[in-house]
Amino acid sequence: MIFNLIEKEIKFRKLNFILALSAMSFAVAFFVFFFTSNEASKRETIRLTRDMGFNLRIIPKETDMNKFWTTGYSEYTMPEDYVDRFWKFKDFSYAHITATLQKEIIWHNKEIILTGIAPEIDPAGRTAMAFRIEPGQVYIGYELAKEFKVHQEETIDILGKQFTIVKILSESGSTDDIRVYGALSEFQEILDMKGQINEIMALNCLCISPEEGDPLVMLREQLDQVLPEAKVVMNTTIANVREKQRYMLEEYFAVISACVVVLIAIWIGALAMINTKEREQEIGILRAIGHRSSKILGIFLGKALIIGFVSAILGYLLGSFLAVKFGSAIFKITASSIKPMYSLFAWSIIVAPSFSALSSFIPTIIAAIKDPAVIIKK
Amino acid sequence: MIYLENVSKIFESPRGRVEALKKVNFHAEKGEFVVMKGPSGSGKTTWLLSIGGMLQPTSGIIRMDGKNIYSMKENERTKFRASYIGFVFQLFYLIPYANVLENILLSGGLSGDAKKQERALELADNLGLMERLMHTPSELSTGECQRVALARALVHQPKLLLADEPTGNLDFENSLEVLKIIGHYHQQGGTVLFVTHTNIADSFASRTLHLKNGEIRE
Repeated sequence: MIFNLIEKEIKFRKLNFILALSAMSFAVAFFVFFFTSNEASKRETIRLTRDMGFNLRIIPKETDMNKFWTTGYSEYTMPEDYVDRFWKFKDFSYAHITATLQKEIIWHNKEIILTGIAPEIDPAGRTAMAFRIEPGQVYIGYELAKEFKVHQEETIDILGKQFTIVKILSESGSTDDIRVYGALSEFQEILDMKGQINEIMALNCLCISPEEGDPLVMLREQLDQVLPEAKVVMNTTIANVREKQRYMLEEYFAVISACVVVLIAIWIGALAMINTKEREQEIGILRAIGHRSSKILGIFLGKALIIGFVSAILGYLLGSFLAVKFGSAIFKITASSIKPMYSLFAWSIIVAPSFSALSSFIPTIIAAIKDPAVIIKK
Repeated sequence: MIYLENVSKIFESPRGRVEALKKVNFHAEKGEFVVMKGPSGSGKTTWLLSIGGMLQPTSGIIRMDGKNIYSMKENERTKFRASYIGFVFQLFYLIPYANVLENILLSGGLSGDAKKQERALELADNLGLMERLMHTPSELSTGECQRVALARALVHQPKLLLADEPTGNLDFENSLEVLKIIGHYHQQGGTVLFVTHTNIADSFASRTLHLKNGEIRE
């Protein structure tokens, strides 16, 4: 009977229902759009950070930092199998872990840096980010290729071993331009440093908020657990920019969402109040002919729950549509990965009816405790 | 059946204090048809709503079948009202979006879907509403609206019918029709308290009283 009354009342006072439904649907769509887009933004940040290169450098603890920054690598080495320790830690802030050995040598009377790279490991199973160099092959830095006029497919001799150039790297404006990249095992061999590395490169996802603390402190704590023999340095310039960009967006959202929540609550509450006023006689007669306050509560809260429920569906569909439609234009790099988040649907179904019922609560209580005699005497 | 002992009702407002009922004493036996007459503002509706368990007196006691209705808890009184009393008002107070049958079935004192439906249809038939069952109040004439309101008041077979100017909005023909229905209920053993400011119900009454300035006069 209650549901029948609610259904008929909704049909009878369509405008009130449509106005409440629109407001709630808008609110749900707003949140769904933001969360769906923000998830894409996070993915984009991670992708961009990844594209900027490794931002973490794990080096032997005893490394003299003055020399490290002067030469560009650590003069100390550590066993290559240290890198295997990262496999044990699944929930870790280090990703795309790559063991390297870097050493400056004189090649054709020029100082160059040999960089041996091991195949990348990633405990979380992400796709490899660094290039993989097969044995017998090398990548040559831009400056070296220009200086020695060497080309792709050419064979060169490095410390008595023949290598085929498979790639000339584009100009980077860094020491990468005077590097020769090869397979770690082969470079260990020609440098007579078998089983040794002097750096583990990694990427930090930059996933923790400034409120959660300094990411470098957390990274160092984690490294102490896995590799106490090493220390980590982070390219904080990249980190800061990315962090600021992402959290600025979240701060804006926090302010806007607070305003949206308050406005929608007032709007729903006002509509419920108007509805209560309109239905004063109905409430009075229902109470007079023997219906309990709880039934009146049921009628009004039931309507609020229906508004919330329908809004959750409409808002979710609208928000997801807007995110997919316009989000791809904003987040170009990860456009293809902007997809409706089904977990948000579950949240909408729970939160929207609760919010709607809460916003209508005061008018509903007023309706339920209305004195029927006062209404009838009017 | 109904006893009012020194019942007073005072309304306090910023504009002053109104004593709507002044130490009213009244009793009615089962099966009586009491007409309470009086001008507007004499306290008729206050008297009726107080008896109906909807308006607690400032002082005094109202007993029905020996029970002090205002010593009951709110929910208990609502339940008592739903099963014991039928209300009919001048303004009908029908639910605008519910059809005739649904309005009749809204009566709180009914239980059991099949029984409810059967009784509602029987009453609708007796009151000439069968053709209008699926119509909403806006599609009915005023006379039909009052008959629906009467059907809603009588569907649960109350012991007491409280009628507050039920003919006040009707023409003579419809008023007579409504009075006949109420008279029929009375003839079948129902007790009626009928409030009006006209003489229209005098011929149906077993007793007529007058209320003026909150006091009852024979």
